[in-house]
Amino acid sequence: MQHPSQASEQRSSLWLDAWIKLRKNRMALFGFVVLLILCAVSLLTPWIAPYSYEQQDLMLGATPPSSAHWLGTDIFGRDMLTRIMYGGRVSLMVGFIATAVALVIGILWGSIAGFIGGRVDAVMMRIVDIMYALPFMIFIVLLMVVFGRNILLLFVAIGAVEWLTMARIVRSQVMALRKQEFVEAAYSMGLSRWAIIRRHIIPNTLGPVVVYTTLTIPSVMLLEAFLSFLGLGIQPPQSSWGLLINYGVETMEEYPWLLIFPGITLSLTLFALNFLGDGLRDALDPRASKD
Amino acid sequence: MLNQKLCLKSLFLLGIISLLVALSGCGDYQSNVESGNLKGTLHWGNGTEPQSLDPHIATGVPEHHIISSLMEGLIHKDGETLEPRPGVAESWDISDDGRVYTFYLRKNARWSNGDPHNAHDYVWSWWRALQPALGNLYAYMYFPIHNAKAYYEGELKDFDQVGVKALDDYTLQVTLTNPIPYFLQLLDHYSTYPVHRATVEKFGSADQRGTRWTYEGNIVGNGAFQLKEWKINRRITVERNPYYWNADNVGLNQVVFYPTENVTTEERMFRAGQLHYSGIPSDKIEAYKQAGDPSLRIQPYLGIYFYRLNVEQPHLKDKRVRRALGMTINRDQLVSQITKGGQIPAYAITPPGTMGYYPESDLTFDPKAAKQLLADAGYPNGEGFPTTEILYNTSEGHRKIAVALQQMWKKYLNIDVTLLNQEWKVYLDTVSNHHYEIARAGWIGDYVDPNNFLDMFLCNGGNNRTNWCNPEYDQLILQQAPTAKTQQQRLEVFKQAEKLLLEEMPVIPIYVYTSNNLVHPSVKNFGRNILNQSNYRDIYLEPTSSSEVTP
Repeated sequence: MQHPSQASEQRSSLWLDAWIKLRKNRMALFGFVVLLILCAVSLLTPWIAPYSYEQQDLMLGATPPSSAHWLGTDIFGRDMLTRIMYGGRVSLMVGFIATAVALVIGILWGSIAGFIGGRVDAVMMRIVDIMYALPFMIFIVLLMVVFGRNILLLFVAIGAVEWLTMARIVRSQVMALRKQEFVEAAYSMGLSRWAIIRRHIIPNTLGPVVVYTTLTIPSVMLLEAFLSFLGLGIQPPQSSWGLLINYGVETMEEYPWLLIFPGITLSLTLFALNFLGDGLRDALDPRASKD
Repeated sequence: MLNQKLCLKSLFLLGIISLLVALSGCGDYQSNVESGNLKGTLHWGNGTEPQSLDPHIATGVPEHHIISSLMEGLIHKDGETLEPRPGVAESWDISDDGRVYTFYLRKNARWSNGDPHNAHDYVWSWWRALQPALGNLYAYMYFPIHNAKAYYEGELKDFDQVGVKALDDYTLQVTLTNPIPYFLQLLDHYSTYPVHRATVEKFGSADQRGTRWTYEGNIVGNGAFQLKEWKINRRITVERNPYYWNADNVGLNQVVFYPTENVTTEERMFRAGQLHYSGIPSDKIEAYKQAGDPSLRIQPYLGIYFYRLNVEQPHLKDKRVRRALGMTINRDQLVSQITKGGQIPAYAITPPGTMGYYPESDLTFDPKAAKQLLADAGYPNGEGFPTTEILYNTSEGHRKIAVALQQMWKKYLNIDVTLLNQEWKVYLDTVSNHHYEIARAGWIGDYVDPNNFLDMFLCNGGNNRTNWCNPEYDQLILQQAPTAKTQQQRLEVFKQAEKLLLEEMPVIPIYVYTSNNLVHPSVKNFGRNILNQSNYRDIYLEPTSSSEVTP
């Protein structure tokens, strides 16, 4: 019989192993550092941005990169560097908040369904199936129409449609875990179901969840750009990377810098996230760790 | 800079060439324009999906293009001079007092299903257009006709007393309340087009909106073309109508209308040889000019770009607020830096020079006075002014202007403005139902007369949409102007009315349109006129020797 504290010891060593492995993976480490820098810049933007993101100078218009405006200006004479920095705040926020919403709902839903099983599981998973069948665009549009346009709501709305896959992944993990001995041990010690889910099941599903999370963030960021373009997301003068790119495409022959710089920034972020995701997958794979 | 541009251009050309090579590899590839020139098919970038093809319901320019190919009025305007030319009416007489018009209809005019077409069709169609339940926003176009207004407003129940009579099958007599100089021009407007009674009644009652009579396979018209297919959001195809009275002289076999809301995409389609006619994004005009491209057409356009203010909104009720908004738009910067197509800053709602009419306006760009006005209205330095929303129909051109105005109002008045865009049909609904605060609008002349711009803002005008109502204004437009003795006096009355309108400012004029389009050189006999009306019946296609497309 295993002791509960032994289980938690195993967990922490898994994380330690993962961290050691991740550090050896250069690409993953690079992704991690890039993300840290981007987050830091976004947090500090209001203090370090060189210009105002909404102040226009129509007579200046679109100018290519120069010493005054490192990344040039857009057709309204607004500094691109500033707009990319502010756009990053929105894009990264959407990425993290919407993914967090998806995580919370998905993990809770999946672990409850998987752990209780039986009829409850059947009902809960059929609900997930129904949600899958709904065209997610229509669902988001409906949410936005009913509750009005609001950035935070946008985050939640996106999160609310992105949790389905997460719920399925977690459920399958939990179903495999709940038959394991340490869970039975926890039962015999008199822990409640909820405590078991919280203390034992969820922490053990983290590997695949972390990986899937890093893959969700980029797709959420692209979704936001799409919604904003339809007039449902954020509105001018605010901006996000996706929107900057959308506008840049319209004038890419005349003012290529309006497309290139936001494009590079977004690609860099997506690369970083993918590298990190790949690295985490390798690092957290329990079979690989036994080698 | 130059190098960078050249490099990009050649890269782009390379892209196009490789695309063409790839496509030609798949077989005998012909672009739409090339195949269209051989088959007599005109490919037309129409901007957006039409709201409706019912001439008594539609109100927009994209709808106008399609309807004018499917139907014809009593007269039609010459493509170049806009002079009235015989349409369904072969000839007409005007009485000496200018009040009674007698039209002699063609005996060979037919509907597109072969049914005979006669004067009774007009009486019935105009009766239909004046049914209040139909919700015809253009009903006021009929008001010059004797008793038409009274009938529309329900004061008169008997349609026989309205000044429209079929003297016999091929003679139509129209009696006006006052002699007005522009009456013939109204008869080439789709709101006065006849509709096919049997078809309309087959799919619902005469005054029912949105029935299926305008759908593919149902609609019957009397124009040079008939509807062949309507693929929602993809294309609308019209083909030659064999029963059209002048079918032998129609130069095209088909016209295909493409609903492309994004003008950047449309311009690329044009460049790829997919379209004969398209719009052009403002940022590309300069490049076309420099390349000396013959497809670029910039010409005066009798239209005004303006913003509607919903005067029922509590914070827009005060005319000082509305004036303040109008006075803080830097129109010169807007047209030179954003729209870039030679547009003229507008300080009045009627484009200057319309039939010798030059509006007097005291509207200027004056941020200081505007700030004072806003303060007088109870919002010193914009404090307490609620966040206001600008509504526009989805298009990057409208977005750019809205973004610029948003910032101007923030800068000069310190008020917060948000933007909302909607697809064309939704936008039209929202504005008609007054569910907006500030809405972008454009008005293109239906006929050349100041009246066309000013009678929009009558109390019950279907296209007013601002909730603004001023009996004095109505009196000037409806009573004084039509009864003026001379044209000079008439214009004076219009000036007075317009001054009143601008003082109260339910609408903010922004600029006078120019029509900026791309027309493929193979399109011939494409009239040039300030209404930018295209007579599809006159156009023909002539393949050019060089199909080179620049830049």
